[in-house]
Order: sequence, then structure tokens, then C-alpha cells
Amino acid sequence: MSDIVLSVTGLTKTYHDHSEQSLILKDLSLQVEEHEFVCLLGPSGCGKTTFLRCIAGFEGYEGSIKINGSERKGPKNDVMMVFQDFNQLFPWKTVEKNVQYPLKLSGIRNAGELKAHSDRALSEVRLNGYEHYYPHQLSGGMKQRVAIAKAFCLKPRMILMDEPFAALDAMTRRDLQKQILELYNKEHCTVLFVTHNIQEALILGTRTIVLQKEGRIVLDEPNLLKKPVTPADPDYGTVWKKLESAIYMEGDR
Amino acid sequence: MSRTFKDRSFGILVKIIFVALLLIAWELIAKSGIMGKRSALIFPPLESIGAAFIRNFTVGYANRSMWVYIGNSMRFMLTGLGIGILLAFLFSGLCMISRIVYHIYQLMISVFDLLPGIALLPVVIVIFGVSPGVIIFLVVHAVLWPMSRNVLDGFQAVPLIYVEAGRNMGLSGLGLLFGVYLPAAVSYILSGLKVAWARAWRGLLSAEMIFGIASSPGLGLYINQMRTSLNTAEMYATLLVIILIGVIVQYGLLEPIEKHTAGKWGMKR
Ligand SMILES: Nc1ncnc2c1ncn2[C@@H]1O[C@H](COP(=O)(O)OP(=O)(O)OP(=O)(O)O)[C@@H](O)[C@H]1O
Ligand SMILES: [Mg+2]
Repeated sequence: MSDIVLSVTGLTKTYHDHSEQSLILKDLSLQVEEHEFVCLLGPSGCGKTTFLRCIAGFEGYEGSIKINGSERKGPKNDVMMVFQDFNQLFPWKTVEKNVQYPLKLSGIRNAGELKAHSDRALSEVRLNGYEHYYPHQLSGGMKQRVAIAKAFCLKPRMILMDEPFAALDAMTRRDLQKQILELYNKEHCTVLFVTHNIQEALILGTRTIVLQKEGRIVLDEPNLLKKPVTPADPDYGTVWKKLESAIYMEGDR
Repeated sequence: MSRTFKDRSFGILVKIIFVALLLIAWELIAKSGIMGKRSALIFPPLESIGAAFIRNFTVGYANRSMWVYIGNSMRFMLTGLGIGILLAFLFSGLCMISRIVYHIYQLMISVFDLLPGIALLPVVIVIFGVSPGVIIFLVVHAVLWPMSRNVLDGFQAVPLIYVEAGRNMGLSGLGLLFGVYLPAAVSYILSGLKVAWARAWRGLLSAEMIFGIASSPGLGLYINQMRTSLNTAEMYATLLVIILIGVIVQYGLLEPIEKHTAGKWGMKR
């Protein structure tokens, strides 16, 4: 049995909007083990982003969220978030400095060491040669690659990704999926990945979870398809259909 | 590309021709004497303005070269600018920490920003006496409010995602202020600086004209002395110096700073 990295018990989240109160997540419990790649699916508005934001420490909540056994108290660099928004890099820092900054804050001061770390991370996402570019000189896909390199570089306990590829074209998306899998296998990290794309979940994940309204888990099972996953796999169609009906169960189809 | 280049060189040409025509007109009026007796006073010929320009620096006034006057003015200017900018950051920073400070400071900005520094002169003289402190105070007054307004607006306009990315890396408090808010607000801070500089330069000269400080006279006092002694060529020559300093600060200092920060980072508004 490997270690539990993330342990969520009885997570309840409400937003208070001008006297109106809305329940977004209700009594959600979940455990994620080390080196799992969990893909989170679910209809729009079911609370996936809210869930990640709670884990990242950006939101207040009721219940308990533990990382490696200790309760979350606000954001911390042991859980890194990769946002969907391309503009998550600091425009006033070069690509290289963006990757190095969290490392620096975590206590690495030696310039040579920082350089070695960022060089390695950037070459993992095929961005050698772009070290001295500023974010506004990069395409959306390249910016996401930098954000991913930045997150992995820090070797956090867990990486949260909120539809990081949603706004990319299919080809770029496939490239990035490949790179993220390589990184995941090399760095031995734990990932919680939100996506709308069933195929993406099947290609990337080791485990698939489908949420419904109020963060109700309606499906949670290991992804047993053989890697690398292709639609040609005999089980692919069955798994795909099962996920689709879990996602669209509540009559929006 | 070539079109903008063409347009720019055309623009430069138009400006040069315009200035040349203006100078020729000036010289013609000066030489024709159509202004009657006061012609030499109002329109001294260009060559005597040129000579006066040089004389300002070699002979100067009251045994002091124009450099001394420029030096004094710039010293007041930089001191006031420095203090004003520092205070603006300090108070804006406090505003980000406390909502109470924020509301009070907002009120102060909207009231004092409308108050011309010169109107404060009588009060300030009572407090400081006739000393450089008065001039520096007026420069600080000219800088502080527009600068604070821009810094605060800039802080407020920082995209939430930068703040969250910063907090995610473990930044908080002052670290977040220096690591995220300040650089993210750079374009606001720079436009605040431009307004602050323009107001401070104006305020400084008017203060110096209304009362020069004998112990450390500045450009405003100089130009006023030239008027009282009817040295109009020197007067125009001094105006030229004042314009030149404005141009140098604008194009030699502020624009390069902008180019190397907001411009380079793709953050220009
Ligand atoms: N700051 C907020 N204040 C009030 N309600 C919010 C806030 N943020 C999100 N919500 C509500 O919470 C619900 C869940 O939002 P969330 O963004 O977590 O959904 P999601 O599953 O990520 O959806 P999508 O797939 O479209 O990204 C939505 O109904 C939304 O309106
Ligand atoms: Mg979402």
C-alpha cells in the first residue's frame, strides 16, 4: 500500500452571494495515493474548479483536506496549481525566471543550481532556446508548457491542473499530453487533472472520477487501459461509453 | 512597417519646417521693428537670444552661472520627487493592508489632488519660513497625490491570477507586494510618474518665481530676475533651458524607463 497524499473528508463548500447561499460541494470525500494520475470529469458547474481551489488553499471550506497528513491552512508550494488561463505566468519575468522563481522562494539561492533546474524542466517540455523570452512573446501552448515545467520543477507533493489544455488546438493538445505523461513518469509525482475531454482522461489518467451536481462522486475507478492508450484498444469504446453516460446522466442529453 | 517609417520621417520633416518658419517669422518681426519701441524687448533677435543663452552659463546672474541655478532647482526637484514617491508607495501599501486607511486615504487623495500647491504657499511659509523646505514641500504635494492615485489604481487592477499564482508559490504580505503587486502595476506606476513629474516641475518653477530663496536660488528666481532687469534675451534663453530640461526628462529618462519595463514585458496600456 503506498502513501496517501491527499485525504479529503466531508468537504462542504458554500458560496455566499448577496444574502443568497449556494451549496457547491456537499460532503465530498476522496483519497489519492502517491503517484496516482487522477482525471476529474463532470458536467459544467458541478464544482470541479471549486474543488481544486479548496485543495490549493484559495478558498475557505468545512470539512478536512489533508496533504501528507497535515491539514491545509491556505496556499502553500507543496501543492502547485496549473490554471486554464494562459496568463498565469508573470509577464515581467523571462521564461527561465518564471520557472526559477518558486524554486528561489523555496530556498534555492545558488544561481547555478537554479539554472540547472530550469534548464532541465524547460527541456522536458521542449522549450530549450526560449529561456530568455518574455511570456508575451510565446504562444498559448508554449505558455502552458512553461507553467507545467514550473509546477513539476518544484517537485511538489501534488500538482493540480484545471483544464490546462482546454483552449488549445487538437495537435498542440496531443503534444502536451505526451510531454505531461513523460514528466509524470520521470518525476514520480501525484496529479489531479480536471478535463472535459473523455479521451484526454483516458490517455493521461491512472484513475478516473466523475462528479455530478454538488460534487457527488458518481464514478470512481482505475483506468486499466494499456498505456499508451489508443482508441484502437478493444476496451476503449466500452470505457468511453461508460464515462459518457456517467457525465451526462442527469438528463442534459 | 515601411509605411509607418515613411509617416514618421514625414512627421519629423513637417515639424522641422514648422519650427524653421517660426524662427524666420520671429527674426523678420525682430528686424522690421513693427512692434515699435518695445520691439527689442518683446522680440529680441535670435542672435542675441543665442548670445544670452551662452552668457547665462558663462556670466550668469549675481556672480553665479546658470548651472548653479539649474543645480538648485534639480536638487529640490529630486528630493521632493523622491520623498513624494516613497510616501505614495508607503501609503498605498498601507491601504492594501487596512480598509480603514484605504477609505481615509482615498478621501485625502480626492481632496488634496484638487488643491493647487501654490495656494498652499502662504500656509507653508508660515510653517517652514523662507527656506528650501517650502519648495520641497510643494514638490512633494505635487507628486504624492497623483502618484498615490495611480499606484492604488494599479494595485487594484492586478489580475487575481497573478496574486493566486504568487500565493501558490508561498508569497504573502510584503513578499506579495514586492513580488507581484509592484511589478504587475508597473504601467500604472509609470503613468503616475509622468503626471507627477509634470506637476512637480510646474509647481517648482512657480514657487521659485513667487519667492526665490537667496541662499539657494533656482531657475524660477533666475527667470524672474531677468524680467525685473529687462534682460529679455536672457529671459527667453532661460525659457529654452526650462523646455530643454523637460524634454530631456521626458524622452531621455521616462520613456526609456517605460521601454525597458512595461514595453519589454508587453504590459503597456
Ligand atoms: N466565486 C463564486 N461565487 C459564487 N458562486 C461561485 C463562485 N465560483 C463558482 N461559483 C459557482 O459554483 C458552481 C461550480 O463552479 P465551478 O467553477 O467549480 O464549476 P466547474 O465544475 O469547474 O465548471 P466548468 O466545467 O464549467 O469549469 C457554479 O454553479 C458557479 O456558479
Ligand atoms: Mg472549471
